[in-house]
Amino acid sequence: MSDDLNIVGKRVVRSDTLAKVTGQARYTADLKFPNMLTAKVLRSPFPHARILGIDLSRALKVPGVKAAISGFDAYGVKWGVFRYTQDHAMLPTDKVRYVGEDVAAVAAVDEETALEALSLIKVDYEPLPAVFDPEEAMQEGAPQIHEAYQNNINIHVHIDVGDVDRAMAEAFLVREDTFKAAGEAYAMMEPYAVVASYANGFLELWMPNAGPHVRAKALSNLLKMPLNRVRVRHIYSGGAFGGRSEVSPGDLVASLLSIKAGRPVKLVLSREENATSTRQIHDMIATVKTGMSRDGTIVAKDYRVIYDGGAYSSTGPIATSIPFYVYEECYRFPNVRYNGYRVLTNKGIRGMYGCHGRAFLAGNESQMDLMAKELGLDPVDVRLKNGLSSGEMTATKSLITSCGLAQTIARASESTHFKEKWPKAKRGKGIGMGCIAIMCGFPMGFRSGSACYVKMNDDGQATIVTGVVDNGQGNESVVIQVASEVLGIPMEDINLINADTEATNLDPGAYSQAATFVGANAVRVACENARRKITAIAAEKLGVPAEDLDLKDRMVFSMTTPDKKMPVRWIVREAFFRGDPIAATGSYFPKIDIEREWVSRPWGQMAGTFSFGTSVAEVRIDSHTGRITVPRFTAAHDCGRPINPMAVEGQMEGSIQQAGIAAIMEGNLWDHGFLLNPDLLEYKVPLACDMPEIDTIIISSMDPEGPFGAKEGGLTIRMNAYSAIACAVTNATDALFTELPLTPDRVLTILERKKGVKK
Amino acid sequence: MKAVKVNFRINDEPVALEVKPYETLLETLRERLDLIGGKEACGLGSCGACTVIVDGIPLRSCLVLTPEVDGASITTIEGLARNGRLHPLQESFMEKGAVQCGFCTSGMILTAKALLDRNPRPARKEVVKTISSNICRCTGYKKIVDAVLDASLKNKAYHINN
Amino acid sequence: MILPKFNYKKAEDIAAAIALYEKAKGRARYLAGGTDLIPRVKLRLSTPGTIIDLKGIEQLHTISRQRGSLIIGANVTLFELKNHDVVKNHFPALYESLDATSCETLQMRGTIGGNILQNTRCLLYNKSLEWRTARGFCYKMGGESCNVVPGASECFSNYCSDNALSLLSLSASVNLAGPGGERKIKLEKLFSGNGRDPFTMRPGEILTEIRVPVKASSGAYEKLRVRNAIDYPLLGVAVSIRNGSGRVCVGGIGPAPRVYPLKDLSKTSLKEVAQHARQEAKPVSNAALSPGYRKKMVQTLTQRAVKRALKEEK
Ligand SMILES: Cc1cc2nc3c(=O)[nH]c(=O)nc-3n(C[C@H](O)[C@H](O)[C@H](O)COP(=O)(O)OP(=O)(O)OC[C@H]3O[C@@H](n4cnc5c(N)ncnc54)[C@H](O)[C@@H]3O)c2cc1C
Ligand code: SF4
Ligand code: FES
Ligand code: FES
Repeated sequence: MSDDLNIVGKRVVRSDTLAKVTGQARYTADLKFPNMLTAKVLRSPFPHARILGIDLSRALKVPGVKAAISGFDAYGVKWGVFRYTQDHAMLPTDKVRYVGEDVAAVAAVDEETALEALSLIKVDYEPLPAVFDPEEAMQEGAPQIHEAYQNNINIHVHIDVGDVDRAMAEAFLVREDTFKAAGEAYAMMEPYAVVASYANGFLELWMPNAGPHVRAKALSNLLKMPLNRVRVRHIYSGGAFGGRSEVSPGDLVASLLSIKAGRPVKLVLSREENATSTRQIHDMIATVKTGMSRDGTIVAKDYRVIYDGGAYSSTGPIATSIPFYVYEECYRFPNVRYNGYRVLTNKGIRGMYGCHGRAFLAGNESQMDLMAKELGLDPVDVRLKNGLSSGEMTATKSLITSCGLAQTIARASESTHFKEKWPKAKRGKGIGMGCIAIMCGFPMGFRSGSACYVKMNDDGQATIVTGVVDNGQGNESVVIQVASEVLGIPMEDINLINADTEATNLDPGAYSQAATFVGANAVRVACENARRKITAIAAEKLGVPAEDLDLKDRMVFSMTTPDKKMPVRWIVREAFFRGDPIAATGSYFPKIDIEREWVSRPWGQMAGTFSFGTSVAEVRIDSHTGRITVPRFTAAHDCGRPINPMAVEGQMEGSIQQAGIAAIMEGNLWDHGFLLNPDLLEYKVPLACDMPEIDTIIISSMDPEGPFGAKEGGLTIRMNAYSAIACAVTNATDALFTELPLTPDRVLTILERKKGVKK
Repeated sequence: MKAVKVNFRINDEPVALEVKPYETLLETLRERLDLIGGKEACGLGSCGACTVIVDGIPLRSCLVLTPEVDGASITTIEGLARNGRLHPLQESFMEKGAVQCGFCTSGMILTAKALLDRNPRPARKEVVKTISSNICRCTGYKKIVDAVLDASLKNKAYHINN
Repeated sequence: MILPKFNYKKAEDIAAAIALYEKAKGRARYLAGGTDLIPRVKLRLSTPGTIIDLKGIEQLHTISRQRGSLIIGANVTLFELKNHDVVKNHFPALYESLDATSCETLQMRGTIGGNILQNTRCLLYNKSLEWRTARGFCYKMGGESCNVVPGASECFSNYCSDNALSLLSLSASVNLAGPGGERKIKLEKLFSGNGRDPFTMRPGEILTEIRVPVKASSGAYEKLRVRNAIDYPLLGVAVSIRNGSGRVCVGGIGPAPRVYPLKDLSKTSLKEVAQHARQEAKPVSNAALSPGYRKKMVQTLTQRAVKRALKEEK
């Protein structure tokens, strides 16, 4: 294959956008089927209460109601991503554990009828004492939310490398600080929706999901149905950001109702329901103790991090670990201890998030700056000194195979004149830098790999079949682009069948940054296998060696004598004649340590590769109001080779909004167990007018394993943009934040605390 | 509750309907007319995903009762392409990478269209101000603003098309 | 989210609207742009039997000048008003508050009458029926207590109109027409101060027009909000100054705006007003940002608004 690529690396129009700009793209709530019913869910009004009984009989009598269900109609199965976290019945029969939890549901001919029926369901509750604060929940005597988790400690991740105590004692400078952050809302624009259609023993489902295969598996368990009878179909998805990786109670609700009614059932959540009953993001309290040597080398880190997990495990073991790993994949920690506790409370369930971990990460980075300053160093040098590079091992024994961290730091600081601006910070004006690494995929047992099937059609076009799913980030377009490059046919010649569990192969899904590195890699391998079949026939026909052949513009041609060529289509037809059509499979399984486990064995190769990134934020602070504005934000991301630079930039820009500007405005507000901002008005998703001037820098590090050298498209910025903001505020105020988001009231408190203190 | 008779033009087609007096325009479009391009992301006027153009003005259709728009002329995203040709805004949104999950896209494009219809060459600042009416969770807005400006430069084509 | 059942009626003139109201025996609400009313009805905070659309009333849709006043019909949209020459040239505080109201799209639909008559807000109140039922009904929903300040005897919901504040600073008055006839009152008399029922409107009354004396003023509007668009004010301060004296109006905290005269423009009296306004403000934890901060900002933003207004005057 020649080195100059035709399509990969180009700013191509994404394959999914035509449907989206014309309004033709169908999302779950847009689906309509004959005889379809509308479902509505009755939710818990209590944060914690025993269920004494549920009476559906009056609801069932309402004309137009076709089915009503509660947990007593389910199969007594509890789902959990891990064997040790199977605690979520989806529809509880013992007790409710948060306000908004699904309790019962009806399916009726229309929404009005369903609402009327809901009001007739009688649930007897015995309210129980509830606990909302994770630190309180860990105390002896606190209300116990699940029998299985003593002191409500759901997950404890313990990592201890080197000799932390000794290194800390010997360190030149030691600092310990505690940082808090409110949990965020995913606030994907599409509220959750699911359509379930049960007929002839098969259950078909459509819902926004980040992994159709894991979803089907969970439902087959919950419904005690063979896996091949549960078919999760392809559908457009209005955003996920990590929040739609797991089975949702609504999936079970719609399925049970459809099975009972024998008709398709559609459940669409309101924005408020979406916020209170699907997933939210962990509130966090992170205590960070750092030991540094005189030259700025980090000699020890000691962490205690508490994650407010809400009422169930969800992806708990992963969520309790990720903030630590993305940090240890970035910096060298010879001695490090991490104690992460995920604690259950009577609040909505917390899940993984693309920006997960801001208290911990922003805390680490801004503390580092303050320590650097004390040592007379600057943040750039300290980051370069401690940053990992290619060939090094992380503290928990992952080998870094390709690493553009240093370049992202260098480019981001050069283009912002960081080194000149940082020491000149004034009260009211600051600049800050955040760095991070991200694993592209993580161990998920046999689900860690992906496979693809490709067939060439008689017109020379191709159909590729892959489990890769797209939640809006552009994964479909990426795999089409990769296939187009390998097969030498334009993107529009490629038909895609994806994310449909009946047709597609197992795939890790779109929540571990594996879509490009693993999913598209499998597509590449399958297409290369098909390509070999094409060149073999062409070599024979053209009388040149197969190695001399290239594919481009629907033609196979000799690279040495370009006159020798023929259309791909002819070869495809020839293959049909020969009774051996051009079709191939290909798979990719990343080089990871499959024995690695989040709690019991937290070491070994985490992922096939890691991406790296650096963000630089410039802030202004109004000293009278504490209001932060962000005039400029620069982000540099090492994504391996960008498959579509425009899409990578788009991911980076979205990350600046969702993690960076979010750090000054986004956070859930609670009143005991009640979410005060379950909407798009009081939950502050930044608007166009709140955005800074953005500069994105793509660093191509050419990963040896990734498809065409690609890794992932922009997630690092999602995990370091808040650090850049927090560091910039530290730079401007000479103080650390105590809690995110940095709303003006909190900033004013920082300023007032500092007032009079001259340095 | 007596049904209400309404007549309006949608995407240049006359439509006569009987609707519930308490039916929103968004419901009418999506449920009765299968025009599903407008989305309900909040239902309370906070996000703009349901925006359609009514007599030249962008409206949040989740807050409008269908009987209120009796006699009006309505444009939805489905009505933008003409005779198989995309509207310049649709083209620019594609070419500039302004679309990710797409859930906000129809509202964004229609909000921008209403702007370009009243001000064909807006400054960047004006575009930012206008699209600050709509929430996008994915893009960081930069490419959306770029796309609107790009479409405004296709001025001539834009006017022929309209 | 579906609406509860109601009838829809469209009135051709004011008398017809009032007649429709009387026919509905009080179980009716007037509808202008609906950007305040429809969300409330969706959340079942208001459950009218009939909605009477005022948008067909031509008279409510005009802006004119009469005997030294600008007469603004209640149905004029915020966007139209913002782009009106007199507003642009003579009423800077009003121009700024209009420009700072929600977002452009909502400005094109929302009317000035509806803006003034929007109901008060609270984080524990503007929620679905299910949410509120689970939390327990408070005073403003007909309950027996306040969920934000337990033990309080009043409702602290916030009046969040941006433009009423600037209109108050400009000494506006309003005309009302109802089953009992017409009346003209000063704008400040429209507010009851009671969060449960924030207006002194009589049943069936229609706000027909707003009158603002046309005299060039200098002025400014300062708004505290988290995002630069869409968000309601967490605090708003309007200042208008004409011929050496002026009015400051503070809103967004509590159920009624507060007006403070600026008798002269001396430094001490400016400072006094800002301090006084701060002392009188009683924010509670029912909006984004802490109450202590909002209270502090009353003084800061008042000073800032006055400073800007004075700079303009020079
Ligand atoms: C997301 C969002 C953000 C917002 N942000 C802001 C903001 O920042 N600042 C702000 O001030 N407002 C804001 N609003 C509120 C609202 O949009 C504006 O106040 C708007 O001007 C209301 O006007 P309307 O015509 O839509 O009122 P409507 O909803 O039609 O009416 C409001 C109330 O007034 C009554 N009414 C209307 N006209 C008359 C009349 N002539 N006579 C008697 N009664 C009448 C109605 O019965 C109703 O009770 C926001 C709204 C939303 C949805
Ligand atoms: S301030 Fe108190 S009484 Fe008033 S709406 Fe809020 S909770 Fe209810
Ligand atoms: S759905 Fe209408 S504004 Fe959000
Ligand atoms: S593209 Fe996803 S919300 Fe805008």
